[in-house]
Amino acid sequence: MAKLRHIAIAAKDPDAMADFYVKAFDFKIVRTSDGPLAYGHHLSDGTIDLAVLRFKSDQIGKGMDYTGLHHFGILVEDVAVAAKRVEACGGRHYMDQAEPDRTGGFEVKLYGPEGILFDVAEHPWTGTEPLPVAVKEAAE
Amino acid sequence: MPKLRHIAIAAEDPEAMAEFYKKAFDFKEVGRPNGHLADGVFLSDGTLNMAILKFKTDQLGKGMEFRGIHHFGVLVEDVDAFSKKLENLGASHYIDQGQDGHQAGYFEKKFFGPEGVLFDIAEHGWAGAEPLPAPIKEAAE
Repeated sequence: MAKLRHIAIAAKDPDAMADFYVKAFDFKIVRTSDGPLAYGHHLSDGTIDLAVLRFKSDQIGKGMDYTGLHHFGILVEDVAVAAKRVEACGGRHYMDQAEPDRTGGFEVKLYGPEGILFDVAEHPWTGTEPLPVAVKEAAE
Repeated sequence: MPKLRHIAIAAEDPEAMAEFYKKAFDFKEVGRPNGHLADGVFLSDGTLNMAILKFKTDQLGKGMEFRGIHHFGVLVEDVDAFSKKLENLGASHYIDQGQDGHQAGYFEKKFFGPEGVLFDIAEHGWAGAEPLPAPIKEAAE
């Protein structure tokens, strides 16, 4: 089964917000990035990536001033198969990772019902748990 | 270490949205919450509870028309201890579950963190979500 492995928050001040979650819950900063889409920090609880990001474009149509929960990400066995399945269920493709060789983040972004944005990836987000072995082996 | 175990989406049509995630990702339905805060569907991927909810109040201050990811939840060893810690760090307590009788499988307390981001904490866990890893739980007991 696919696994929820990423939750992204849109923040005005990702440094301060990340610091709060590190102190509050002992989450670890596993990556800091400043790419074309966002600046911010990726925290991990050992299983899930909690990304605290200042976005550089309005991916969810709520305006650049929006702060709050932004999107989530699902780890799948095969991104191409998952993306096709999502589209067959009525989801809509938004964008692919611009650097195809880059792993540890989203690989494809899609919109589900009611315009909810989510990512899919077949390589685990940095610092997160891979798919359970039985699932992964069954897919190989 | 506490664990992220819950993500909630504000939906206009929770039934249709839940159907989508069941078909697209094989998430399993594990509950049908129907309370004074929201109605909807609980899904699980075996680790997290994904709640797809039609909210009855404007918890976020973004209006009743808000659609999108609404809040997340963290499973902790001890809700009281973490509540104190969160308030010391500047979070503001919003509500407790249980004010109208506690129901297992839900949030226990809600807080607003930095920039008004809403999150829950619970020590009993959400329906269909994985418990804390045994050594952590045992060490806390």
